[in-house]
Amino acid sequence: MKPHLNSILVAGLMVLSPLYCAGQTGTMGDGDRIITNSRMIGWGATKVLDTYLSPEEYTGPDLRYISHTLRWREGSRLINALIHQGNIAYIDNRSGDGREIAGNYNFQYGLHVVCGTWTFGGNELQLEAGGNAELNLGFIYNTRNSNNPAQARAYLNVLPTAALTYTFRNPFCESHYRDFRLRYEVGVPVAGLMFSPNYGQSYYEIFSKDNYDHNIVPTYVGNAPSLRHFLTLDFPLFRATFRVGYQGEYLQARVNNLKQHAYTHALLLGVTKTFKLIRVRK
Amino acid sequence: MRHFRRILPLLLLLLAPLLFTSCVKEDEYADNPRGNFEALWRILDEHYCFFDYKARQYKLDWNEVHVRYSKQISDQMSDEQLFEVLGNMLGELRDGHVNMYSGFDVARYWSWRENYPSNVNDSLLNKYLGTNYRIANGMKYRILDDNVGYIRCATFENSFGSGNLTNILSYLLPTRGLIIDIRNNSGGLISSAEELAARFTNEELLVGYIQHKTGKAHDAFSAMREQWLKPSRGLRWQKPVVVLTNRGVYSAANEFVKYMKCCPNVRIVGDKTGGGAGMPFGSELPNGWGVRFSACPIYDKNKESTEFGIAPDVNVSLGVVDFYNGIDTIIEHARKLLE
Repeated sequence: MKPHLNSILVAGLMVLSPLYCAGQTGTMGDGDRIITNSRMIGWGATKVLDTYLSPEEYTGPDLRYISHTLRWREGSRLINALIHQGNIAYIDNRSGDGREIAGNYNFQYGLHVVCGTWTFGGNELQLEAGGNAELNLGFIYNTRNSNNPAQARAYLNVLPTAALTYTFRNPFCESHYRDFRLRYEVGVPVAGLMFSPNYGQSYYEIFSKDNYDHNIVPTYVGNAPSLRHFLTLDFPLFRATFRVGYQGEYLQARVNNLKQHAYTHALLLGVTKTFKLIRVRK
Repeated sequence: MRHFRRILPLLLLLLAPLLFTSCVKEDEYADNPRGNFEALWRILDEHYCFFDYKARQYKLDWNEVHVRYSKQISDQMSDEQLFEVLGNMLGELRDGHVNMYSGFDVARYWSWRENYPSNVNDSLLNKYLGTNYRIANGMKYRILDDNVGYIRCATFENSFGSGNLTNILSYLLPTRGLIIDIRNNSGGLISSAEELAARFTNEELLVGYIQHKTGKAHDAFSAMREQWLKPSRGLRWQKPVVVLTNRGVYSAANEFVKYMKCCPNVRIVGDKTGGGAGMPFGSELPNGWGVRFSACPIYDKNKESTEFGIAPDVNVSLGVVDFYNGIDTIIEHARKLLE
């Protein structure tokens, strides 16, 4: 890098640094940054309906991976949430001679506020509320349909979230310095935009002919009553912290006279790591 | 405000279970003869796109069909008996795009071609093609001895590469005209039909209209949207063309004829096409039998449906005497037109 470019960069950072600090004190607090990241594998059962492809509900196993991250600063009441989730399901119709493959990538970014903290003996209960923005990209492929073999799943949502976290002493070893943590988190999409072909519209018409017909549909609780929730338990074992949990997803939509739902119950297993980022001055 | 912040998450937690009461579900029919009959009737009732058109054409009344066929359903009937009754009910739609698929048979309506002379013969085609023909992307082609190019396009199932079409047309460039024989071509990819037709126009042409259903009602349709045929960026044919048709020309091949009718220097010779102007969708019954039906109607440039076929410019049939003499009357007529 050239010397004058270095000077510009340093000067720029100096100009911006007060704003950055003010932002921090105003919103994030002054403490060290703490990151809790959980990576989980989920295995469960799903029921999928999409009347664009079939009036029949398809059921079967669902495999998913979730990366769930919470970031906050010590002393701050704000928590950043970051969730990456991918799932794939191979599902059957009730007669057993039709197959669908469904897959999704879901990303959520949100901000939670700690609304209250209560202490009971050495244990702590914390209530959070906030909101996430959600982006989902996915598909369902029906192996038996010819002209309407697949359906895209793309939507953006805003979802208020709430979480209860109960941190308690290790019940098996009181002197152990690492706690157990039970967390319940729920999110309900209240507004969003969803892609959907119209009732009898072919993808040929949408993508080859550019014939738009209400293919981006506003969604709200009335036409897309959905819910996602987790219940997880973090527990220390050996030198790691493991996580077991349950995830329930009730994703529904009724748009363009088409009905769709995906009800999933999954058992989660994973590992949780907590980092503390410390600024090092040289 | 602070109070509200505390209450909001609790409200969310309490309201969440209420969402379970507003489930988005579809009525499920029982997997028995009655349930499968009702499911099939309803799939068509809510999705089939030609009820109003066929009510005008031959007084089709789908509710009356339900009454008539419902009497033939009993819980004691075998799968074969149920298949026959349901297949007959689908036949009322007189639509080659309507099928039902079971493990032992396919219900179909092929009267659009079975009730008419075939006007094509494999032995004659083989005689005209000889053995020294070329094949590219499923199409056979050669130069006939009077310097007329001949392409036998039996299907649009393949996706034509633009390079392949350029190769074919380049080879046939020295000829004085081109015959495209699509007799018995029962369709395939509409995009392939479009790609081939795009070689025969130098300007964008309005070739028809398309619409789709927007709801369950028989008359719930979107506005008609124009279909434009854009000229190909590859080699385009500038000499006369004759397209050979018969009643076996259906679906995407029927669309091809519709496009070619709009192109300059093109004449359609042979018999009326079979039709098939609805893009099909698939669905299924509780017992797993597949169902296919016309879902998106397509029209010609005059907003007329081509569901029951497109008439040729010159109606020519295969002559019996010609046949015994090894002459394909329709090809010979096309050659005369290209003289």
